[in-house]
Amino acid sequence: MSDEAPSEVSVHPAVEPGVAPVAETASPVQPAPAEASSQSPATLFALAAWIVPGLGHLLLGRWAKAGTFFACVVGLLICGCAMRGEVLVPGTDGPFGTLGFLADLGCGTLYFLARALEAAGSDLSRAAGDYGTRLIAAAGIVNVLAMLDAFQMASHRNR
Amino acid sequence: MATHHFAAMMIFALLVAVALAALGERTPVNRARHTAWTFLIFVAFAVGFAWLLLPLSR
Repeated sequence: MSDEAPSEVSVHPAVEPGVAPVAETASPVQPAPAEASSQSPATLFALAAWIVPGLGHLLLGRWAKAGTFFACVVGLLICGCAMRGEVLVPGTDGPFGTLGFLADLGCGTLYFLARALEAAGSDLSRAAGDYGTRLIAAAGIVNVLAMLDAFQMASHRNR
Repeated sequence: MATHHFAAMMIFALLVAVALAALGERTPVNRARHTAWTFLIFVAFAVGFAWLLLPLSR
């Protein structure tokens, strides 16, 4: 690969007379765009992962993981809503309701979207409605795990 | 969406298995293996537990 070494050095073609040509080498100091983004705080990636499932991994350049998490979280949420599961609000059904609300809130902006689109409301008179509630909670938990993974990956990159 | 109990459980098991495999494994082969095992364990445990509860339903 020694043939390619001179290509890294470029000489200015227009040089003033009497002035030695200035050699320009590829600067190893300038960070690549991916390295620059790695200097962002890890909490930023976790927050991005909460706002949109998979966005934290997408910003870290992990396309496959981002797509996987997005598909899983959105799939669980859509199935849960289609089964007319309950999107919990704070202060419902005591402590278990609060825990369920926190789990649902893990979906990020999709939680608020699900609440806005929940036109027909939940139907817990059938078992499917109860299953739907669990699927929505599972979507939030999976997204929280994805957030923690994005946080950990960003922390390791910043070291 | 009228979903059978078993179908709802399968959807849950599949999507959660895929997410857990993505979290725990690095290579695609290991992820596929992890997904398959987790999915099978979910389904096997659910079916086994349902069989155990069967006498109570009568």
